[in-house]
Amino acid sequence: MFCEKAVELIRELHRMSDGQLPAFNEDGLRQVLQEMEALYEQNQSDVNEAKAAGRSELIPSIKLRHCCLLRNQRCITAYLYDRLLRIRALRWEYGSVLPANVRFHMNAEELQWFGQYKKSLACFMRSLGAGEGLDITQDMKPPKSLYIEVRCLKDHGEFEIDDGTVILLKKNSQHFLPRWKCEQLIRQGVLEHVVS
Amino acid sequence: MFIADIRKDFYEVVANQRVALLVASDIDALCACKILQALFHCDQIQYTLVPVKGWQDLGTAFLEHKEQFRYFVLINCGANVDLLEMLQPDDDSIFFICDTHRPVDVVNVYNDTQIKLLIKQDDDLGVPSYDDIFRDDDEEGDDSGNESDEGSEPSGKRRRFDEGAVERRIERQRARREWEGRRREILFDYEQYEYHGTSAAMMFFELAWVLTKDTKDMLWWAIIGLTDQWVHDKITHMKYVTDIATMQRHVSRHNHRNEDEENSLSIDCMRISFEYDLRLTLYQHWSLYESICNSCYTSCSFKLWTLNGQKKLQEFLADMGLPLKQVRQKFNSMDMSIKENLRDVIEESSNKYGMKDIRIQTFGVHFGFKNRFLASDMVHAAAALLESTEKDESDGDNFIKALDALSRSNLERLHSGIDLAKKKLMAVQQTVASCICTNLILSQGPFLYCYLMEGTPDVKLFSKPMALTLLCKYLLKAFVHSTRNKRCKLLPLIMAAPKDVDKGTVIVVGIPPESETSDKKNFFGRAFEKAAESTSSRTLHDHFDTSVIELKSEDRSKFLDALITLLS
Repeated sequence: MFCEKAVELIRELHRMSDGQLPAFNEDGLRQVLQEMEALYEQNQSDVNEAKAAGRSELIPSIKLRHCCLLRNQRCITAYLYDRLLRIRALRWEYGSVLPANVRFHMNAEELQWFGQYKKSLACFMRSLGAGEGLDITQDMKPPKSLYIEVRCLKDHGEFEIDDGTVILLKKNSQHFLPRWKCEQLIRQGVLEHVVS
Repeated sequence: MFIADIRKDFYEVVANQRVALLVASDIDALCACKILQALFHCDQIQYTLVPVKGWQDLGTAFLEHKEQFRYFVLINCGANVDLLEMLQPDDDSIFFICDTHRPVDVVNVYNDTQIKLLIKQDDDLGVPSYDDIFRDDDEEGDDSGNESDEGSEPSGKRRRFDEGAVERRIERQRARREWEGRRREILFDYEQYEYHGTSAAMMFFELAWVLTKDTKDMLWWAIIGLTDQWVHDKITHMKYVTDIATMQRHVSRHNHRNEDEENSLSIDCMRISFEYDLRLTLYQHWSLYESICNSCYTSCSFKLWTLNGQKKLQEFLADMGLPLKQVRQKFNSMDMSIKENLRDVIEESSNKYGMKDIRIQTFGVHFGFKNRFLASDMVHAAAALLESTEKDESDGDNFIKALDALSRSNLERLHSGIDLAKKKLMAVQQTVASCICTNLILSQGPFLYCYLMEGTPDVKLFSKPMALTLLCKYLLKAFVHSTRNKRCKLLPLIMAAPKDVDKGTVIVVGIPPESETSDKKNFFGRAFEKAAESTSSRTLHDHFDTSVIELKSEDRSKFLDALITLLS
């Protein structure tokens, strides 16, 4: 009672390290909303009584409940907002297609928001670079070298890079490739960056 | 053709191109590949590296990549066969071959367009002159290997009926037959012996040096490549010493360059030093006792497989005045006072026991404060990783592991390699002892023969070519030390071990006779081919060394019989 559930939600999010998205706690959220509803109803009846009977001694408890209501509201917004921030960071980290296990942790509205964010980001990136578009999610930090050495972890078949050359990605072969060509494949676990 | 200027004719050609690197699995090739990779990283040359294990691998790797690449760099493979004949490449594929295998196939030598050999010509190659083996007459171009040029006489345009022409033609045919006979002889002399030339790693290091892009890491890899040739007994002692001297010059140049730096010893520094060190394998990572027991040189000198030998070893240790407790514990934990002049003490005692060459010129390296390795330690560790038989890992995985172990940042991998190497050496030692004690080595007349039965301990380890060759060399040395038969001491050894039980194949290795002055030239390659041909045995000549073959177990006896008749 009195905001414990809401703080628990915040704590749960706080415990996860940066960039991780915990499962959407629908149950916890519902409990907080129920608590708010109960508080509101109690307040409502108390207010009516105070008005009708002029019982001014009820006013402090009304105020307390009201504060709790506001606090619960703040906590829930914070919870949702922090999740949004995390989801936004995911777009920059994983690209536009999220792995299934991450999607599983999001609720329907969040998914919808993610879709819209994706769209507006894509729109923006297309408008850059004199009509050609620019992928601003890449090279967030300036890379040390344009090329990196990668190692193939599984047979992936042929891979065409944008200048038209085709390379065969076969298990245990090593390649020295432009960094921006292989970042995607490294994320997918096909390639491994060899640091020597 | 041989490349005259490696920078202009090789490096500047492939710069800004995409290159396929096909690398054989031996340590020298790995080191050469490391050096080349480092160079390519400097200049951002895109490449694809594919490990190849044998000729079949090479064929498939080429097929898979021929569409996408124009330039192929072959490291330690490809020089000793007619590559164009084997791979049937398109006209615009170009092969750069850096290979230690000799003799170099004559077609490779005289092809000017597609085959470029990165091989030093002062290596005493003895390539027959062009006119002796190729003749550009009539409509045959310089296409050579064509043995059936007899029947390809001009048919249409040269039909003349006067007498003189006929006579001239007969004359010419006679001359040609003579020439062909001589050609066969020359080629036979040239191709009879298989041996090894300058290490590939050293070749590429020289390239790096010419480009002034050489680093200490590259130098260290070049040294490992050279040491591999010595550890696996591929080059003569003379050649080893000469090459070591070359490397020594580079080492002092590099050390000199950094001398004025204030703190020359830091945690991430690398320091290579010339050492006149002991020939005890891995002794710095083992105990002295175990190292002496498992090193080929000492164990053969003491004949450690006999009771007498064990006694002699104890005497030897007593002579050095080293307490047994110290000798048996880890080298790292030995008393500092003992370690200080250990090498001199051991050398002095060894001289008394007839081991005059217990010390050898080599190099050592310090990584930071703690890690100290000799070049031979690295070779043994990498070789053990490369041919590891644990957990059914594929050859590709092993290749990658060995490659990783060579770089400085993967010390853990290197240490695991050293542990594997210890196991391997102990297995070699035990197998040698049991072979000698149970008289498994049979004299077959022209050669000695030894067959490792299925079910011998560690037999799986010896199904790999490098490990089996190492065992072979150790065994022959031990045999020469133990036998009283003078004639047997001069014989080469053939060894067979089960390769794949399910397929019923054995791996067969032949090595040249063991002697101080041996030129390490091996004639078994040709002999194996001939014997297989004449008996139509089911053999597989897949390995880049022609003296390593696979054979169906059922064909073993008839193959051997053919070999005996062939060689006696």
